[in-house]
Amino acid sequence: MRNFKLKRSLTLVAASSMLSLTVVSIPTVAQATPACTTANFVTTCVGATTDTAPYMMMVPANFNGTVFLHSHAFRPNIPIPVGIPVYGGYTITNTPEPAPGGNAQIIGHLLGKGYGVVGSGFARQGWNIDSAVKTNVELVGLFKKQFTKTSKVVAWGNSMGGGISQALAEKYPDLIDAHAALCTVSDPAQIVSFGGDAVFGVKAFFDPTIKGGNYSPGAAGYAEAMADIGKIFGVAGALSAAFAANSTNPAWPATSTAPAALKSAIPSRSALVLVALMAGIPLQSAHFDATSTPPGATPLVALGAQTAVFPAFAALENLTAAAALGVLVLYDLELQAGGQAFDNTATNYAARVAEDQFIWVSALSGKSATDAMLAYLAAVPRVKGNPAAIAKLQTLASHTGKVDKPSILFKGTSDPATLAGIQQSLADKYAAHHAEKWAAAKKAGIRTKPAYNQLVLWNFPPEKYMKFTALGSPDTTVPAATGTNHCNFTVSQYLAIADMLAYAAENGKNLSGGALLTKLRKAGNMTFDRGYVAPRLRVLGG
Amino acid sequence: MIRKTRRKRTWFAAAVLAAGSLLATSLPAHAETGVTSSSIKLGITLPLTGAASPGYNKIGNAMDAYFKYVNDNGGVYGRKITLIQKDDQYSPQLSIAKTNELILKDKVFALVGPLGTANFTAVHKSVGLQRRGVPSLFLNTGFSGFANKKSYPTSFTILPSYAMEAKIVAQFLKENFAGKKLGLVYQNDEFGIDALGAFTAAGVKFDVSIPYTSGTQSAATAQTWVSQLAAGSAQVVVFFGVTSATAPLLAVAAAARYAPQWILGSVGSDPLTLQALGVPVAVLNGALTPAGNPSPNDLTDEYVKQFQEINTKYNKAAFDDYVLQGMNLGLMTVQALRAAGQNLTRRGLIRALETKGSTFASVAYSPLGYSRTSNVGHTGYYMAVMGPTGDRKPFGGTVTLYTTDSGNGPVVKSNFKRPAMPAKGLPNNS
Repeated sequence: MRNFKLKRSLTLVAASSMLSLTVVSIPTVAQATPACTTANFVTTCVGATTDTAPYMMMVPANFNGTVFLHSHAFRPNIPIPVGIPVYGGYTITNTPEPAPGGNAQIIGHLLGKGYGVVGSGFARQGWNIDSAVKTNVELVGLFKKQFTKTSKVVAWGNSMGGGISQALAEKYPDLIDAHAALCTVSDPAQIVSFGGDAVFGVKAFFDPTIKGGNYSPGAAGYAEAMADIGKIFGVAGALSAAFAANSTNPAWPATSTAPAALKSAIPSRSALVLVALMAGIPLQSAHFDATSTPPGATPLVALGAQTAVFPAFAALENLTAAAALGVLVLYDLELQAGGQAFDNTATNYAARVAEDQFIWVSALSGKSATDAMLAYLAAVPRVKGNPAAIAKLQTLASHTGKVDKPSILFKGTSDPATLAGIQQSLADKYAAHHAEKWAAAKKAGIRTKPAYNQLVLWNFPPEKYMKFTALGSPDTTVPAATGTNHCNFTVSQYLAIADMLAYAAENGKNLSGGALLTKLRKAGNMTFDRGYVAPRLRVLGG
Repeated sequence: MIRKTRRKRTWFAAAVLAAGSLLATSLPAHAETGVTSSSIKLGITLPLTGAASPGYNKIGNAMDAYFKYVNDNGGVYGRKITLIQKDDQYSPQLSIAKTNELILKDKVFALVGPLGTANFTAVHKSVGLQRRGVPSLFLNTGFSGFANKKSYPTSFTILPSYAMEAKIVAQFLKENFAGKKLGLVYQNDEFGIDALGAFTAAGVKFDVSIPYTSGTQSAATAQTWVSQLAAGSAQVVVFFGVTSATAPLLAVAAAARYAPQWILGSVGSDPLTLQALGVPVAVLNGALTPAGNPSPNDLTDEYVKQFQEINTKYNKAAFDDYVLQGMNLGLMTVQALRAAGQNLTRRGLIRALETKGSTFASVAYSPLGYSRTSNVGHTGYYMAVMGPTGDRKPFGGTVTLYTTDSGNGPVVKSNFKRPAMPAKGLPNNS
């Protein structure tokens, strides 16, 4: 099984063994009755919903009536050619995933506590919230029919699966007793804007041959999208080599056609930082924190590393981590929307970085350099979207944030693929929903404030986490820091979420007070802080 | 009948009072974060180490020394002040982490004197000061963008803005150096840009204008600045940068025997810090600088005298502009805490600054602009000339105070008389 998120989630590699045992027996056509086997006090059932999506149910002998419905993360809806870095060789798969990454430890933990687990592989991959919600609704019915003791349903998932769980809870509140959207996606327009801005910036500054969208129909479009991924990795590779050769004043990639005067006056790292800022890509990454200093550096070099050089390295690492996934999502959404859904004709990139340019002034090589880069960017032809495609995009599943059963959100603040601002947008929507409910209650003469039933959790990177080699270079071979990368969660964190969901489903409210804090502390790197507001998405004015 | 009624009412009132006092004694001493019946916890982020630390690393200790002095004299309504200093190394990302620590872990009542424009911008954006209602008193930066009460409702500046400073220097240039060739070296960020905008608005045109990016200052880069200034025959050079950039500029210029009339911005002109950075103070002789405070060596000044005494007893640091500024931040903070009253709350502290802050005693000569609609601190400068030891005296022999705003307002000579130093340096305001 190939799962992009799983590849980078180092804690979940143990998952594959359990699933590989079951893949062979999963039907690929709908069947009314699942095929079940029981071994070691666990009944495992496989089957397919009417949309032919395969599923897997696992229930312990001491089933307590609560089942965890898991929705898996994004999988491309197209095969990826072998030559594409990182993702090459992927073939479309709909293997069901009854727990995050199919992780055996998580499944074992849940079964051991008497919970059932169930997950679909979904009939369609790619951006699949609409179809996956339908599949899940049917799957819950099948599960309840098969295991009649079922009394509570908990939905959870990460990345695309988080978006599916959120949509399911919003649309079918009577079906779900609690849910968690982890490192979640949300409205497709958010992703299109974020990915589109990033690709537009990379294209403008580093390689104008990147198509960046509006792909041709059929095989030609597929080839164009794959070529774009290759080109973005080409830019990343060139920048990486240039940064390694001269981190202070790295050269520009040979593919760049930005004005020579710009390139001679401004290091390429500053253009990359600007691209990151205008798209909202964080400037802390798996191995670069913008706070550490190289061992033995003079004070001035140390300050330059913190404020100018390492932020650029972080932008590069994050861009590399998210680029291919971004193009694949953009391509898939474009196919579903029926044309170019990204449009930046009205985007004011200068306004977007108005505040951040003060914070990252050294990384941007000063105000004059920033102004020059923005002036160049303003002269680059903008992307005009297809109005029908943009309208179609709006009809794809988006989130209202209106959930009344207990919900949990959890995300790393430096997630480069699904930005922290996405979780913040869901939290904002829920806050508005709650305020509306409270206003309506007051109008009706009710003086009791409705319970605030959403727990917004964050995974912050440590204050300093960079490691250096014996030669003093940044060490990028060590595991990604917590709070960085996409869905970079530990098993302990997943288990804590599962326990909290079970509590919420049972009690109709989230864990709170000292019990919550103790649970979070034991899991590690989980923060509940009502006062924290993540940077909002650029498209939402952040 | 009437008497009976009165008696009843008196009895009733006494009962209510008694019940109230019982209630009061059974309530927790204080419910506000960072405040107990006997203590107030404050926090500051600033560069205590690293390239940007020279000079600035003295501010926290100076403030702390003043607080200790106040604590030894009864504290603020009986509460002793604790100041927690966090080293952010001038890295904005680290400022965020350290401020989070102050607020979430140390649970400080308020921030006092957080330093750096990029740093505070990052903190304000990422830490959610406004949402948390955390007062941020006396930001140690002159960025005029912070003088926006709508965007920064819990923050208060203290320094005149860089725009104000540039407007005043522009006026001074017109009055004293008309016709001379002018040069400008400025930090190419909001600091220098703030100033550049004000110079442009004032109609001052520089014959040589050199931006530099923060963090790139060095002897090598200073060499290029001096070459450009000399090639342009700049006779008067205005410098808007930090001390770690002033140092190589003056050192390289002295070595090259290039001696224009220097006008050093208030941020980068502290002689002791320059000396610590290896610059012979003699090169400062004759340099002009906009100054808000009296010379730290002026013992005829009641503030300086008092602060020096406190420094001698509680801090033992070489007394310079940074120590003076730190002590003054302490003095301002104590007045704000007192003005907020015995029932100290964050909201009350903000309200106290808005309603009473403009009357606070401060070492600086210019008025304070705090009001319900303004979070602006000091609003003016006088021009000073430095001597061979780096000490400064008012240009022309007496303090000529210029005041202005960060916008289009005029630069005016002001007769403002600052409030007297509270007796023994211990505020008794309410």
